[in-house]
Amino acid sequence: MILYLGRRLLGMLGVLLAVAAITFLIFYVLPSDPAAAACGKSCSTERLEAIRAHMGLDQPLWRQFGDFVTGIFTGRTFGSGPYALDCSFPCLGYSYENAQPVWDLLVDRLPVSASLAVGAALIWLALGLGAGVTAALRKDTLTDRALMVGAVAAASLPVYFTSVMLIYGLIRVAGLLPYPQYVPFGSDPLSWASNLLLPWLALAILYAAMYARQSRSSMIESMAEPYIRTARAKGLPRRTVVVKHGLRAAMTPILTIFGMDLGGLLAGAVITESIFGLPGVGRLFYGALTTGDQPVILGVTLLAATFIVVANLCVDLLYAVVDPRVRY
Amino acid sequence: MDQHKRNILAVAVVTALSLGAAGCSGGGTGANGGPGKGGANPATGNLGKVVGGAPAKGGTLTVLSNQDFTHLDPARNWVMGDMDFGTRLLYRTLLTYKAEPGAKGGELSPDLAEDLGTSSNGAKTWTFRLKKGLKYEDGSPVTAQDVKYNVERSFSPDLPGGPDYAARYLAGAEGYQGPAGGKHLDSVKTPDDHTIVFELRKPFAEFPYATVLPTFAPVPKSQDKGPQYDNRPFSSGPYKIESYARDKQLVLVRNPHWDPKTDGVRKAYPDRIVVTMGLKGNQIDDRLITGSGADASAVSWVNLRPESTPKVLTKPDVRARLLAESTNCTEMLQMHTGRAPFDDVKVRQAVQYALDRQSVLTASGGPALNEPATALMPGSLFEGGKQPDTLKIPPTGDVDKAKQLLKEAGKPGGFSTSITVSTGDKAVAEAVQQSLGRAGIKVTIETVDPSAFYDTIGDTKNRTDLTYTGWCPDYPSGSTFLPFVFDGRYIKEKGNSGNHSLFRDEPTMKRMDEIAAMTDAAAANKAWQELDGQILAKAPTAPVVVERKPLLVGPNVAGAFGHTSFGGQIDYATIGLKDPSKSGS
Repeated sequence: MILYLGRRLLGMLGVLLAVAAITFLIFYVLPSDPAAAACGKSCSTERLEAIRAHMGLDQPLWRQFGDFVTGIFTGRTFGSGPYALDCSFPCLGYSYENAQPVWDLLVDRLPVSASLAVGAALIWLALGLGAGVTAALRKDTLTDRALMVGAVAAASLPVYFTSVMLIYGLIRVAGLLPYPQYVPFGSDPLSWASNLLLPWLALAILYAAMYARQSRSSMIESMAEPYIRTARAKGLPRRTVVVKHGLRAAMTPILTIFGMDLGGLLAGAVITESIFGLPGVGRLFYGALTTGDQPVILGVTLLAATFIVVANLCVDLLYAVVDPRVRY
Repeated sequence: MDQHKRNILAVAVVTALSLGAAGCSGGGTGANGGPGKGGANPATGNLGKVVGGAPAKGGTLTVLSNQDFTHLDPARNWVMGDMDFGTRLLYRTLLTYKAEPGAKGGELSPDLAEDLGTSSNGAKTWTFRLKKGLKYEDGSPVTAQDVKYNVERSFSPDLPGGPDYAARYLAGAEGYQGPAGGKHLDSVKTPDDHTIVFELRKPFAEFPYATVLPTFAPVPKSQDKGPQYDNRPFSSGPYKIESYARDKQLVLVRNPHWDPKTDGVRKAYPDRIVVTMGLKGNQIDDRLITGSGADASAVSWVNLRPESTPKVLTKPDVRARLLAESTNCTEMLQMHTGRAPFDDVKVRQAVQYALDRQSVLTASGGPALNEPATALMPGSLFEGGKQPDTLKIPPTGDVDKAKQLLKEAGKPGGFSTSITVSTGDKAVAEAVQQSLGRAGIKVTIETVDPSAFYDTIGDTKNRTDLTYTGWCPDYPSGSTFLPFVFDGRYIKEKGNSGNHSLFRDEPTMKRMDEIAAMTDAAAANKAWQELDGQILAKAPTAPVVVERKPLLVGPNVAGAFGHTSFGGQIDYATIGLKDPSKSGS
């Protein structure tokens, strides 16, 4: 188990390093120049060179990458003299666009994305699993068909469509909810929830539909296993059979996609955050893309990669808990 | 400077995601052209007027925005709306613009300085005396040395992005890298705490206009935190920053040490100003059209989106809350005059004649919010605040004349070319494509992400023949327009900006130098206007439209007008609320 964990952690580091290297390379070949963007209009060549030197862009690529990687572990300083910028551990670079270290920006935005992701995940798990299990248990009935047709329909709706429809229906026409504007959980939990309800729904509808389909087929499969028949034959209550024996085994594939989905969403739901104007990591990323703020793009990419590999590891470890047959 | 367009991407999410346009720096005086030909423009009913009457003191004014400020550090602030916000609320400059609607907004008023400055040595030396009793937010006095310090800061490579007038005009500024290394500019002298003297390298009669720019705001050395200063500028104005979460929210509260007796321009009506950022453009529009609850005391930072225009213009009570001052920026179809086929003036003229400005105008927001351009410089730089119709080409173009010009140029069958536009201007490019196609000019469209747009078109060797950009004067003078856009000596092979037609014409450059040396402002003004027509006849660009800045204000907002010198952005010096108790604080 310990050995397994160690191997996995080492592998994770490798993946993250590769992601960072590839992202770095992509920037290198892209046409946009952050120094020119910072310099503004009617920028003289000398001034551009000075800015480039200050940002460290005059260094060769391998050197920039090396500085970046060591900076994560040791922190680093940008520029020199009285205007030197201190970027302490874990330094993911400095956003000249926002005049802040990338790490601080991420830490600042993460609660928003996490609120969105976790809230939506709870909703879609409840809706998706509920619908999927119900449909599986009533396989080939009208309920099953209706639920699955609904799921296909919901899964085909892109999130930007659902969002706009929800805004139109619940805010503009019905006036039930406010235009979402993020309120930190700590300052007012109730308005935190009421402001996030719509984004949660918009995201959850899409995922719930996919989870319903996944859990239905998974559940049908596990309910056909011989041990279910055994459990039934022993005279266990139906509830116990379904939940403890059927659902538990059916959870394995669902857990896999759930880990990936949640991991990805924690690092920002770009479209949802942008549509609802939530200042999360996704919108930070979107803003960075449009302004060519490379350190932020790199930081968010790494954050997303980290979340996904960590989520994967957690899922693999959870397998052992969910499914007694799995051992490391 | 260039009109920075942030009409951002789209792909499949165009309606849901498109943000409004960002500002551009510069300004301009002058009334507006008023309604276009053919009936009153429903969008311009408030031109020259103050919306909402006189404000009462107090309350919270909310500003709804889809974006963060580019820079609030006065050494780096060179985006028109941001300059308005910064200099009207947070820091004072040597001079500023009067807080009045219409052409009066182009006139100067003393701010930190006692008067409009005195020149000597043939307009090469400018002296400003600071008022007594000016204080920062901590009660410490504002000194002439602090103004000098910020001018010096603007040279730092660590603090890029700001106006470069100081660099362009101050003597001995070549190669100067800011005060961080302990070096100072000898050409800015501070004989005492209340006197500042600027030595210029050449006579510059319009220097007082340049001192309106945030470069000439005070920054005390003890507060300077380099690039981090952007997040917390130290206030010398009526408000100070309570909190600033980048791209989320900025909260301003009163600066108790600001003395209204020293300030003839700012009224500082609200107690608090809250800027909420990162909202969606369509949601801002909807909230302000409804205007209920706290939104009644809110204003929009970004342009009303073209899709929302009908919802506003058809309702008289909402329309009454729409400001639509001219941006005074001319959008132009730029032709690469440095190579075939656009090195031939006849070909370029053919484009001018073939272009259907009316359809481009429709593509960029409709006639209520744009006017077809009939000259290069915007109306604010002409007599009566209106562009002359120099070429007398009908707004929909003259295809026969274009075909004839092409025939004379030896291209009777037309030719193929391509245009680069920012993603948000795709509809404009299509209108250009369609209208030039009428004369046999086949245009291929290349769209570029806004973040890479200026880099792409600034690469003069590899860029396309055509591109679409605008220019706004930095202050009401032709000297901030024509030389930036048409002086061939400013062309750079890479990172080219301003002169996107790569126009290099000896008589034009000679004339520009002559006008720049004129000491009689009125004569210079006249000369720029004449030169405008002369350049237009040589057809380096085809002027297309002059846009308005449509901004909605809530029903409880008072004292609101679009300021002509800040690109039509609301003048934050005089805005306030009708009934502060309704603003929820």
